[in-house]
Amino acid sequence: MSWLAIGALALVGIAIPLAMIVVSALLRPAVPESGKKTTYESGEIPTGSGRVQLNIQYYMVALLFVVFDIETVMVFPWAVMYRSALEAGVPLSQALLPLLAFIGILVVGLVWAWRVGAVQWTRSIRAATQKTERQNT
Amino acid sequence: MVPPEYYLVLSAAIFCIGLFGILTRRNALYFLMSAELMLNAAVINLVAFSFQWGNLTGQTFALFVIALAAAEVAVGIGIVLVLYRNFGEIDVLNADSMRW
Amino acid sequence: MSLLLQGTATDWVFSVRALLPVVLLALTGLVVFGINSLRPDGRDNKLLALTSIAGTLSALGVAIWYLLAGTGQPTHGGAISLFSGAIIVDGLGLFFTAIFTSVATLVIAASYDYFETDANPASFYSLLLLATTAMGLMAVSNSLATVFVSLEMASLPSYALVAYLKDNRGSVEAGLKYFLIGAVSSAVLAFGISLVYAATGSLLLPDIAAQIGSVGDLNGVLGVGIVMVAGGVAFKTASVPFHFWAPEAYEGAPAPVSAFLSSASKAAGFAVGFRVFATAFQPALDIGIDWGLLFGILAVVTMVLGNFAAATQTEVKRMLAYSSIGHAGYALIGLAAITAGASATNATVMGAAMAHLFVYGFMNTGAFLFIAMVERWGVGRTFEDYAGLAERAPMASLAMAVFMFSLAGLPLFGGFLSKYVLFLGAINAGFWWLAAVGAVTSALSLFYYSRVVKALWLEDATTDLDAIGDAPTGLYAAVIVAGVVTVLLLPGFGPVIETAEAAAAALFA
Repeated sequence: MSWLAIGALALVGIAIPLAMIVVSALLRPAVPESGKKTTYESGEIPTGSGRVQLNIQYYMVALLFVVFDIETVMVFPWAVMYRSALEAGVPLSQALLPLLAFIGILVVGLVWAWRVGAVQWTRSIRAATQKTERQNT
Repeated sequence: MVPPEYYLVLSAAIFCIGLFGILTRRNALYFLMSAELMLNAAVINLVAFSFQWGNLTGQTFALFVIALAAAEVAVGIGIVLVLYRNFGEIDVLNADSMRW
Repeated sequence: MSLLLQGTATDWVFSVRALLPVVLLALTGLVVFGINSLRPDGRDNKLLALTSIAGTLSALGVAIWYLLAGTGQPTHGGAISLFSGAIIVDGLGLFFTAIFTSVATLVIAASYDYFETDANPASFYSLLLLATTAMGLMAVSNSLATVFVSLEMASLPSYALVAYLKDNRGSVEAGLKYFLIGAVSSAVLAFGISLVYAATGSLLLPDIAAQIGSVGDLNGVLGVGIVMVAGGVAFKTASVPFHFWAPEAYEGAPAPVSAFLSSASKAAGFAVGFRVFATAFQPALDIGIDWGLLFGILAVVTMVLGNFAAATQTEVKRMLAYSSIGHAGYALIGLAAITAGASATNATVMGAAMAHLFVYGFMNTGAFLFIAMVERWGVGRTFEDYAGLAERAPMASLAMAVFMFSLAGLPLFGGFLSKYVLFLGAINAGFWWLAAVGAVTSALSLFYYSRVVKALWLEDATTDLDAIGDAPTGLYAAVIVAGVVTVLLLPGFGPVIETAEAAAAALFA
């Protein structure tokens, strides 16, 4: 019987947006004009195409972020059991030290990435010239 | 409670969607997404049966699978980037300077 | 929450001592990072190579010391179980660790010259060391969780290693193909593990074995799971049906990386396969899941496909890649034949497969490193380009001839004895058809291996070989050492096979 409620919820969930679209289509006046079709850029007149090529360094930083960010899931099981482990009498060398070793290895990796320049923002020549062009116009 | 067979069907379906994507897509990024889908199918099984069996092994292992999936994507995107730099596109079938 | 704390408390000093080879490798990898962090602009190729070799050699030394001292073996209190049984240190793990560290040492010595002009060799050495660490962990994994994590830990650096030459289209393409098939097969392995967990409720190998008898109507789920785990093993060992990556990856990758992948990575896959299937899935045979037959068929197809494809190649490196697939087929015999007969027969045939992987580690690494040397000289890749090289480099060509004849299994070198013992073990276990296919394909392999030797020694040079400079020290030393060990393994095969069989017997006890 619990499935019936879910089905009803799904039905209502589909019906409400459909009804809103239909009702507003019936009520609103139709005034076609070209300004409605342009891209909205906070009231500015849009320039250039929507496809912008980003600097490759965004991806480098993003990749590093993904890797180091996801390592936090490894800390979750530790955080869940840490307090109860201490209460159960597990010494700190076994409850805390493994995590510190884990973080230490991550730090070595991050320091290395930093030192070899993976997170350094190199100044690209193209971006610099574009900037001066914009300033001159 | 939802019977465990339902989870098996769900995860098998997601696994097959991922497999279908891998077999039909030629874009390396779609390929990566499909592989992720297959890994997530495994995660569904692990979490569902962790509950079923009443031990935490499956849930903990699911966390490891998630972390490894992210690491795999990071390496994969890195390879796709150098692929783009060398070949000018990321179509997995067009990189064929060696016989396949 | 006390669930997570089951088992005995872990004594850190004891764990580190038991896992010392793996810990040494990991620490060396971190030290390489540290050296490079301190001096990011200095290339320090020599310092980094020496540090890495010191690490792999000390890990190799400790592994051999433990093997000789009997650590984790039945004579000294049996296998050492660590971390609630997720890691187990025994003869099998130490034996395979010895293979990985030997191969890694040779490969690093060769890489010192191969990457002489590379901008940042530190990343290469650290990737190689971390991959070796992960392989050491694969060999001691006693839980499907550690199997999956360590297998991925070994795969991820391998992808980067194959695509290491960022501006070389062949290398990048090889890396992409290796990665694509690796991603699929790791997903298949993860799904297989999740199905095994669904059926048995545990990831520890002995617990799975204990639960298999009572899976009831989840029998089919377990069967699919076992087949998928076998798929993961097939990828790592470059066997059919996940072998497609091997010729591409080995051909496109820098030759030292090809040597590392085709020897160490393959052995690591078999280490996992042997332990998982011998420990956890042995009882599955009783409830009608005949994975022995599956591996038997895969072994036949792999042997036939690898050897026939190798015979039709025109490039030496690609020929070696296919021959490497063929050798995966020989080692698969060891996995197929442990399903029949008593514990003693099983131990014999599995030990023979392990000994074959040991010998193969040296002869195959040496062969690929010879190709690395030829690549560095700038000579072409085909058989014709190799013509007359013996005049310019007689010692290395002699070593290459030793590798080729040993790979073919001529009764002069170590490769003969390991194949002989393996086929004999298969016949004793009742798998005469596997031995027959193995013998026939070995005879065929003599044809294409001897083509290399013929080109080197008998044919006259078709190209101008004067461009060859003097021999690079590290690369030359690695090739010669591999050649000497391959020859010495003929008289010294006894201790190897005894150690391997003792390690295998402990698994079936």
